[in-house]
Amino acid sequence: MLKRILHRYAPAPAGRSRNAAAILLAGIALSPLPALAQQQAPMLDEGVASGELPPVAERLPKNPLVVQPLESVGKYGGVWRMGLRGGDDNGMIAKTVAYEGLVRWDHSWEKVIPNLAVSWEISDDATEYTFKLREGLKWSDGHPLTSEDIAFAVEMFNNPEYPANSNWIDVQSNPASVEVIDEITFKFVFEKPNGTLMDTLASINGTQVLTIPKHYCGQFYPGTNPDAAKMATDAGFQNWSFLMEDKCAWGWETSRWTNPELPTISPWIVKEPLSGDAARIIWERNPYYWKVDTEGNQLPYIDRLNMRVSQSLEELTLLALNGEIDFQDRHIATNANQAVFFDGQDKGDYRLGKVVQSTSSSLVLQLNLNHDDPVKRALFQNKDFRIGLSHAIDRQEIIDVVFIGQGEPFQVAPRPESPFYDEKMAKQYTEFDPELAAKHLDAAGLTEKDGGGTRLMSDGRPVRITVDVIAALRPEWVDMLELMQLQLAGAGIDIEINNIDRALFYDKRPNNDYDAQVWAGDGGLDVMQEPRYYFPSSPESVWAYKWQAWYTGAEPSIAEEPADWAKKQMELYNELNAEGDAERRSELMREILAIARENFPVIGVSLMPDGYYIAKNNLRNVAPSMINAWLFPEPGGYDPVQWYFE
Amino acid sequence: MLRFLAGRLISMVLTIWAISFVAFAIIQLPPGDYLTAYMATVSAAGERVNPAELEAMRRQYGLGDPFLVQYWKWITGIFTNGDFGRSFEWKRPVTELIWGRLGNSILLEGLAVLVMWLVALPIGVYAAVRKYSLGDYLATVFGFLGLAVPNFLFALVLMYLSYVWFGNTLGGLFSREFETAHWSLPRLWDFLTHAWAPVIVLATAGTAQLIRIMRANLLDELKKPYVTTARSKGLPEWKVIVKYPVRVALNPLVSTIGWLLPTLVSSSVIVSVVMNLPTAGPLLLRSLTSQDMYLAGAIIMLLGVLTVVGTLVSDLILAWLDPRIRYGGGQ
Repeated sequence: MLKRILHRYAPAPAGRSRNAAAILLAGIALSPLPALAQQQAPMLDEGVASGELPPVAERLPKNPLVVQPLESVGKYGGVWRMGLRGGDDNGMIAKTVAYEGLVRWDHSWEKVIPNLAVSWEISDDATEYTFKLREGLKWSDGHPLTSEDIAFAVEMFNNPEYPANSNWIDVQSNPASVEVIDEITFKFVFEKPNGTLMDTLASINGTQVLTIPKHYCGQFYPGTNPDAAKMATDAGFQNWSFLMEDKCAWGWETSRWTNPELPTISPWIVKEPLSGDAARIIWERNPYYWKVDTEGNQLPYIDRLNMRVSQSLEELTLLALNGEIDFQDRHIATNANQAVFFDGQDKGDYRLGKVVQSTSSSLVLQLNLNHDDPVKRALFQNKDFRIGLSHAIDRQEIIDVVFIGQGEPFQVAPRPESPFYDEKMAKQYTEFDPELAAKHLDAAGLTEKDGGGTRLMSDGRPVRITVDVIAALRPEWVDMLELMQLQLAGAGIDIEINNIDRALFYDKRPNNDYDAQVWAGDGGLDVMQEPRYYFPSSPESVWAYKWQAWYTGAEPSIAEEPADWAKKQMELYNELNAEGDAERRSELMREILAIARENFPVIGVSLMPDGYYIAKNNLRNVAPSMINAWLFPEPGGYDPVQWYFE
Repeated sequence: MLRFLAGRLISMVLTIWAISFVAFAIIQLPPGDYLTAYMATVSAAGERVNPAELEAMRRQYGLGDPFLVQYWKWITGIFTNGDFGRSFEWKRPVTELIWGRLGNSILLEGLAVLVMWLVALPIGVYAAVRKYSLGDYLATVFGFLGLAVPNFLFALVLMYLSYVWFGNTLGGLFSREFETAHWSLPRLWDFLTHAWAPVIVLATAGTAQLIRIMRANLLDELKKPYVTTARSKGLPEWKVIVKYPVRVALNPLVSTIGWLLPTLVSSSVIVSVVMNLPTAGPLLLRSLTSQDMYLAGAIIMLLGVLTVVGTLVSDLILAWLDPRIRYGGGQ
């Protein structure tokens, strides 16, 4: 069982002596720097011999990060083969090779540990975060990585002419800025408190500040190179930002992987880049990578990555069955494929491992509580109506049919592995009880029925709810909805399944043009970071889109003052954000969750069953069980740099 | 003949211009634009897009301009310096993305057409001459099977059988070492060793149709008096059939050559996706879902151009095949 304790490295333990900022020298928990001579991969020997590369000791920082191999110290070499779904699968690249930030999560997603930064210090009011980088860090082209690079990246994210987006750097209400102290020391400064910054920095979003190296990208920016504008027009671009976007991009934008010249800090750098017609992407070790194993061997162990680019999931599935994929779970490890992969283990010479999903519920039915139709709005806001719906769903049947019996009835609530787990919240209204359902629906005022048995709303129209779903994203959603359609019809509720494209799905939100939408239950483990179903916190809170607009200030034109309970939650979350003490933050989160439990805004179905990954039998040091979330990337969070082929 | 050609060329240019307009209009029809699609992906990944920045991007990409202005910019770019605009999603010039894939498409589908004709025409002739014989029925059954089995399913079955029997996965059009190479004899050979499977899949679909058309046309011709005359004059049977009726029966087939390519490209999209072929189909599909309008517009327009050019070619062949056509078109 996993246990998550958040913010262990936040200052002022136990909420006392909060005026004394705590300096935390992280890294002390790791093994001391090995005394053995540092070694490198054989493939780099030639480069050093010919003088093309400096010796390994000069390439590594003074205090390289020591990674404890999971099973044993590995050996160099090999190619890790995997498959990308089409050319736009940048998410998978980010999760696999690009999870390198100032700090990172440990393998249990419990605490923030050092990465590029060795230590950090947080001001009392959580508005200033001072970081110290490793000494002698280098980009993949050998150029030193300094505080200036961080400052430059933040400047670019904040530059309105450059379209880089982030959910923590260029936030309108509280943008980040950087103060450079010396080469390896710098400070993030916020106007308002930002209590959850360390969590953000340890998540994949934290990697954004390390994606725009100043020495390279600065040449395209008029602020650092007066000739930049001319350079762009000469290259056939409208203005500098187009050229820079072309060369540097930001974050994990697809175009970032199309430029092999762009320096990175990742363990592998792109050699055969992503492009519109690339059939594969080849990655090669970064000779300046700054991590070593416990014996002082420079990581990574694996020389190359070979990512097949395929639109065809069938092709990828066959490749995996045929033993031509060394590690992967994304795309191919589906429910439907599980039996096939299990049976194919001997022939394909691979094994299956466990992947714990961070999502709580397999499907979240989000009724539009801000509906423009006053009758529907009143109905959807009626808690009895939602409870009635919930009791009318036979969750066990869905689990048996769609998930081959895996999972259990579950609302949208923190998962059992989470410290925020609350059995009552997870299980309330989940029992299938037509009588109880009818009682609640009657209580919601739906006492009349038409000839077909459908209940009638207060104005005499039958209750008909159109549910938007993107089948292309999760085919099982439609299967689940079809069962729910039959079950709810029994309770006199008519739902219509509206399978649409993703762009349209999102386009309907600001227009408030939907009855209900479904998605997966994000926030099952990342409760505090992804509270979209607990209160209207982000545009993903589709169940109360106008309320979230009021809270986030993103679209003032559609904003609407939320119900009192939601407003209370928003106040609590603001308080949470400004809170430096981890214990207190957890307490506040529990209060928010309690309000969510009481008001029951969205309906969940079942606990997301564990997934699985496929790893070749000779691939070692792979964690037997991994958590998969976007904020805690898998497998990147499990140090693929120390994986090796036997 | 020259006047005929000149007239056709002028109308071709007008047609292509009309196609470009319609293509551009069609891809603007779905709600939203590239940025809404982009925002959807970004947002699903847990990021928030700052609306001000989105607005800036929209201005920068020119997405806020009225439709006609966007179209004018695009079309003048194409006609003045062959610039098809930039792909939003790939952040690359469209021309960089499409030529290689379009080349693969034409090569693959050209091969499929060739195979289709080589198989279907003799069978069609045979089925007409030996009407209601065992061979006729066999050919019909074979052809209809090809027509009835969905292409993607056939492709899946082929891939699965290849995995079970030979332990390899059919997919792609080139081996690893030839993927990015320039065309050469070894690369062509490598292509052929990979292309057989998709070619078979693509060819089977049209074969039945061709057999039926050929058979029906030829049956009509065989009943005509000139055939009887030729026979009665003692012409060898094969010459009676091949020299005249077959030639006339080919007429409707030849006149639709122009449609073959676009039909094949559109029918091969799913096969290309399933078998992971680097052809224009999957690129078009992807660009349409992400509303990458310049890329989608360019592909649709080029397919239109191919149709137009194909029609011209088929007219020319037809004129050669059936001299009567020239009088109608020329004067």
